Amino acid sequence: MSDPLKPPAGAPGAGSPERPKGVEGPKPPTSAAPPKAPAIPPPIVLPAAGFPARPAPAAPRTTPPLGAAPAPFVPAARPPSRVSGVDSRLTTHDSRPAPPPSAPSAAPPPGTPGAGSPERPKGVEGPSSEVTLTLDGREVKVAAGSTILQAAEAAGIKIPTLCHSRGLIPSGACRICQVQLEEPRGKRLVASCTYPATPGLKVITDAPEVLEARKVIAELLLARCPENVPVRDLAASLGACETSFWSPDPKEDCVLCGRCVRMCHQVMEVGAIDFLGRGRERTVRAPFDERSKVCQECNACASVCPTKKIRPEDLWGHKPAPYRQPFEAGLGRTGTINRPFPSAVPSTPRIDRDNCVHFLTGKCGTCAKVCPAGAIDYEQQPTERKLDVGAVVLAPGFRTFDAGRLAELGHGRFPNVLTSIQFERTLSASGPTRGVVLRPADGKHPKKIAFLQCVGSRDRRTNPWCSAFCCMQATKEAIVAKDHDSALQSTIFFMDLRAFGKGFEAYWERAQRETGVRYVRSQIATVREDPKSRDIRVAYSDPSTGKPVEEDFDLLVLSVGAEPSKGSRELAAKFGVELDDHGFVRCPSLSPVETSREGVFATGMFVAPKDIPETVTQASAAAGRVGAYLAEARGTEVTKKTYPEPRDVSGEEPRVGVFICHCGINIAGTVQVEEVEKFARTLPHVVHVERNLFTCSQDTQVNIRKRIAEKGLNRVVVASCTPRTHEPIFQETLREAGLNRHLFELGNIREQCAWVHQKLPLEATEKAKDLVAMTVAKASRLTPLVGSTVPVHQEAIVIGGGVGGMVAALSIAGQGFPVHLVEKEPELGGVARRLRKTWRGKDVQAYVADLAEAVRRNERIRLHLGTTVVSSHGHVGHFTAELSNGKTAEGAVVVVATGAHEHKPKQFLYGEHPRVVTLLEVEEKGGLDLPAGGTAVFIQCVGSRDEERPYCSRVCCANAVKNALAVKTARPDANVYVLYRDVRTYGLAEDVYRRAREAGVVFLRFDAEKKPEVAADGDRVKVVHHDPSLRDDLTLTADWLVLAAGIEADKAANRTLGDVFKIPILAEGFFLEAHPKLRPVDFASEGIYLCGLAHGPKTVDETVDQALAAAGRAGTVLWRDELESSAIVSRVDPEKCVSCLTCVRMCPFDAPAPGADGVVEIASVKCQGCGICAASCPAKAIQLGHFRDDELTEMLRAFGSCGPTCGAPRPAADGQLAANTCTPGAAPVGGCACNPPGTRE
Amino acid sequence: MIVGEQKPFEQIVKLIERYKRILVAGCGTCVSVCFAGGEKEAGILASMLRLEAQKNGRPLEVLEQTVKRQCDREFLEEMATKVGQVDAVLSIACGCGIQFMAERFQDKIVLPGLNTRFIGVTLEQGEWAERCAMCGDCILDRTGGICPVARCAKRLHNGPCGGSSGGKCEVGKDRDCGWALIVQRLQKLGELDRYSEILPPRNWTTSRDGGQRKVVREDLKEQGRIEPR
Repeated sequence: MSDPLKPPAGAPGAGSPERPKGVEGPKPPTSAAPPKAPAIPPPIVLPAAGFPARPAPAAPRTTPPLGAAPAPFVPAARPPSRVSGVDSRLTTHDSRPAPPPSAPSAAPPPGTPGAGSPERPKGVEGPSSEVTLTLDGREVKVAAGSTILQAAEAAGIKIPTLCHSRGLIPSGACRICQVQLEEPRGKRLVASCTYPATPGLKVITDAPEVLEARKVIAELLLARCPENVPVRDLAASLGACETSFWSPDPKEDCVLCGRCVRMCHQVMEVGAIDFLGRGRERTVRAPFDERSKVCQECNACASVCPTKKIRPEDLWGHKPAPYRQPFEAGLGRTGTINRPFPSAVPSTPRIDRDNCVHFLTGKCGTCAKVCPAGAIDYEQQPTERKLDVGAVVLAPGFRTFDAGRLAELGHGRFPNVLTSIQFERTLSASGPTRGVVLRPADGKHPKKIAFLQCVGSRDRRTNPWCSAFCCMQATKEAIVAKDHDSALQSTIFFMDLRAFGKGFEAYWERAQRETGVRYVRSQIATVREDPKSRDIRVAYSDPSTGKPVEEDFDLLVLSVGAEPSKGSRELAAKFGVELDDHGFVRCPSLSPVETSREGVFATGMFVAPKDIPETVTQASAAAGRVGAYLAEARGTEVTKKTYPEPRDVSGEEPRVGVFICHCGINIAGTVQVEEVEKFARTLPHVVHVERNLFTCSQDTQVNIRKRIAEKGLNRVVVASCTPRTHEPIFQETLREAGLNRHLFELGNIREQCAWVHQKLPLEATEKAKDLVAMTVAKASRLTPLVGSTVPVHQEAIVIGGGVGGMVAALSIAGQGFPVHLVEKEPELGGVARRLRKTWRGKDVQAYVADLAEAVRRNERIRLHLGTTVVSSHGHVGHFTAELSNGKTAEGAVVVVATGAHEHKPKQFLYGEHPRVVTLLEVEEKGGLDLPAGGTAVFIQCVGSRDEERPYCSRVCCANAVKNALAVKTARPDANVYVLYRDVRTYGLAEDVYRRAREAGVVFLRFDAEKKPEVAADGDRVKVVHHDPSLRDDLTLTADWLVLAAGIEADKAANRTLGDVFKIPILAEGFFLEAHPKLRPVDFASEGIYLCGLAHGPKTVDETVDQALAAAGRAGTVLWRDELESSAIVSRVDPEKCVSCLTCVRMCPFDAPAPGADGVVEIASVKCQGCGICAASCPAKAIQLGHFRDDELTEMLRAFGSCGPTCGAPRPAADGQLAANTCTPGAAPVGGCACNPPGTRE
Repeated sequence: MIVGEQKPFEQIVKLIERYKRILVAGCGTCVSVCFAGGEKEAGILASMLRLEAQKNGRPLEVLEQTVKRQCDREFLEEMATKVGQVDAVLSIACGCGIQFMAERFQDKIVLPGLNTRFIGVTLEQGEWAERCAMCGDCILDRTGGICPVARCAKRLHNGPCGGSSGGKCEVGKDRDCGWALIVQRLQKLGELDRYSEILPPRNWTTSRDGGQRKVVREDLKEQGRIEPR
């Protein structure tokens, strides 16, 4: 055994006296001719991992030392900031062997900062100098300068380590990693972490002597730390469950491996801790057991401690302050290198420069040393770029209200008071608690949660507006929390429940009924914390009795509102855009995305608080608006990528190239990729196999293209990760190489193998082989697929001539495309013709007249008044609609904007008493004429939120409040009452509600169960109101009774149109969009869009938003000359089709239809490649491209097969025969490669 | 279309118990459409039989083939090779296909994998219902297009009987009373007068009562005999 204290032998080239005899020194790169091993597939090529031979005194950057290969794992050496007293060998980073103390000058001079390594890692290609050694009888080729340990890692041979840590200079201190060298003069044990891999070296890693020696060391370690779990685990893995040695201190945790000391000295260059004492007294401590003055509290020592002995609080005298993840709203902890949030784009981790030791002191650099991809670049700088653009869209979003500003609510003081954002993260599976609902104070599962609404909303002390989303957010959080824990009870304290969006009313009804969420209409008076239980005690007034109550909750969630984001003021100033008093952008009413400056548009929360559907809609609206604004320039700066003509591979035998990815250590750390490579070579049709460190890297793409050319590959298989992210990259590579991109297949050996079987490396390797075999089997059957292209008929059909239809038509025409505008009535304008003003005071009549005029004058718009659509056929790109006026409208897209109407009430004496009118009738009249001291009563929710129409009509609250205010302003002596259930003046409309109350409009709430009663009283109307707050009745005698009648869909008309275009409608009669939040103006069928009241109740402003959005979405189709359909579509074999129409009934996209000869045809433009038809066809007449039966069965056959030569049983991991051994002649189990052909036709 | 239903799998397993090589013969017409005996069903059944045999360690080889129609000689001919290779044929065509197969391959046992149920229609995906009982003397003109033979449990020609209540049949509350439907339909058509007309007793010899039925068209037969040049 070599002396552990002695530095291991350097490379022989440096004249090491200890050079093993008979071993040649590494050859210079020019003469390098690695020994060939013909019987074995080419040995793997390993990059040097930073164990260069003892450096020559010359500057290594210009003349690399003999054998010092470019070190792909190691980025450019950084200049060491020399600290006196710190050994200069630190500068040689990584695992360079420590030179003898007598030769400190051996350290190479510093590299040039920022130069970047000229030898960036290039997959596993290219070190110019390699050595070949034998590990357990296998020839392994590694870059010169590697250690035995590195060679073993590359070859997939596991060697246990303890004192070794990547990024630290190996010290060979613990000897756990020892291996046996077979040398002419005999066998000996050396530490593999320090012993260099020299040519011809013969190493046995699992010789009995090695195992015995490791066991003895393990027993010694166990004797020292008998109770330390990591030590026990390590010892057990080496066969030492008990120790025969004496334990001086059973509580000892430190194994004196020196990782912490090396980290502190060599890497951080600080020296705040060191070994103290001799022999048995030896410990790791700070000088004088006091907090070291030079300690930078970087925690690096603790991070490398294998036994968790080092605790920062012992060294620093205080606990480390965790670095809070901003995305987790202060709940989650994170490291200095982090992803800002789980779904960040790009998802590349970043270094927090403010907290990184390297950026603060210039030291450390561990991440650069250990990153196998060499992706760490400390030199990146913010870059400034100039963009020349024609329009700008401002979408800076919002920030949530800082709940700490309302100190009485306890946020920041009581740990069990969270904001709704924090609670949202707690519920998230990717959040700080991994989706387990825990309360921060003690980690208990809360059973009672209270939500407080309007924190920083509708509050004149903070923000006066309504944030519009928080009522539903709290409701959703209560429901999700209940999903997590069925015993959990939620209470929501609110003022008005603003469930005004599409489907929201039903949602919160369900929350009450099914989830049992308790809604309490009361604000919270005080919030206190029980110091013992840490429960939150809230005081509120019980709405049913009016009495003050105190109640304890485990957790209080503050539903924080939205306010303009930080920096939005500066942004607005930069672009010269006006803001309103609140700091939202000033968009004129009815032009929702315009700003005060031409060419600058705004969208989202920057315009006003809103929920997700409105935000997504408005984003499309801004895009559509810009599309019209820049119509002339559209497409002018698009450069089309050209590809070589794809090679015709028909008639060629499959020639499959297999590229197996290490994914750094993601795959290679578990799966023995070398084994997989060997196995892949035996598979049929495979003519090339190689492994790559990262198959997705740019240089590998170049390499794949090269291999396709030189080996004549016509199918490519990559065994790496999920196709979801990387398949397009490889398909692109194939296209560039002149192959059809569907001749590619990806086998997922990372997510579906290495990651899920980390603890079972042998089995994982077997599974990876199976996966590769299956992928290759499918690949060899792949045929080129080409999507069909359909020309785009660059016109649009807009159905409905109200505000939505007109705005959409004008916007599409503005984008440069002809439009058919079909309106069923003889006049344009729709229901907006009955409106006077928006709540902001904009004249709707004038607006509608202007729109109608603009539509009539627009040469691109063809009007079809008094016309309906009778029938239609076609698909995105070309719809043909037969109109009731006998004409035919053709267009690439269809916009449905058929509107809705005001409900005609059947209650409250409507139609019986002349003084009972609806809101729209008041609008039409232009107001109410009241006598002096007269009374006007408004009743809300007439024909909304009831059994027949269970939805909220959304617009009536603001509209009634506006009219009430107008009456009160015109006649301040009048009595104006608004009887309501919830005042839903969401967003900035809260302003008009506040003004109405200030003006003296009286708002009285009634319960749905006890509606007001109305009776005629001569010319006047008597209204009896049951007031739940007073718990008494009020009788009002009104000169006018105004009913806020809800919005009702044109059910019959919508049904007819739904049948014509095969678009779905809801029970209420409104159309159903593709996705309420993510695709709010699209239908599931491509090329058909939706806007206005046909989608659901909304204001004129919102209709304009939606119409612009629909036009914007339509523009994405219209501006193309042709549409390329996916190549992965279903096709019908007309010979086999029995016209059973199953596919026609099953297809969610309406793609199959009976053709002229009775046989079904599938419109490939409509086909989304879901495969439902192929799976359900009873005659097997339908095949889905790239997922054909023969391709899939071939995969199944390959599963568990033994490769090309059947009959040879494949040993399973445990050496037994695998259960799925394939024996020729045996009845096939789910098929296998040797299954006699012809059993199936 | 003829609607069939595959026999319970355990029963099929019993049927083929004594054979070592069988052919699962699918039919690509009616029974394909009702998901009972098409190519897909044949494939599934064959795979299940293989798995079952393997599970119980029984040697069994299963071939499969589906032809356009098993009720035509020319299509049966396509199966001759495979039929020759097996001990038994498991046909999942309707009863006609099974019998015709047995007729064509005299030395082979042909086993039924299907119960032939009725002549019916597709109500919706996965739901079929009987509409015609093949009585051989159609009276749908009198009954508003609704057949009392197929849709009245008693085949009453002057219904309904006393078991009709609430439009449902006394045989089962899940089926409509055929005569209730007839009356409603006639009412809708304004031809209720047809209902007062008493239908005379039927001659059931055109139906199954007359024994096995056959249709002969001499004119067509003559044409078929012309030898192609």
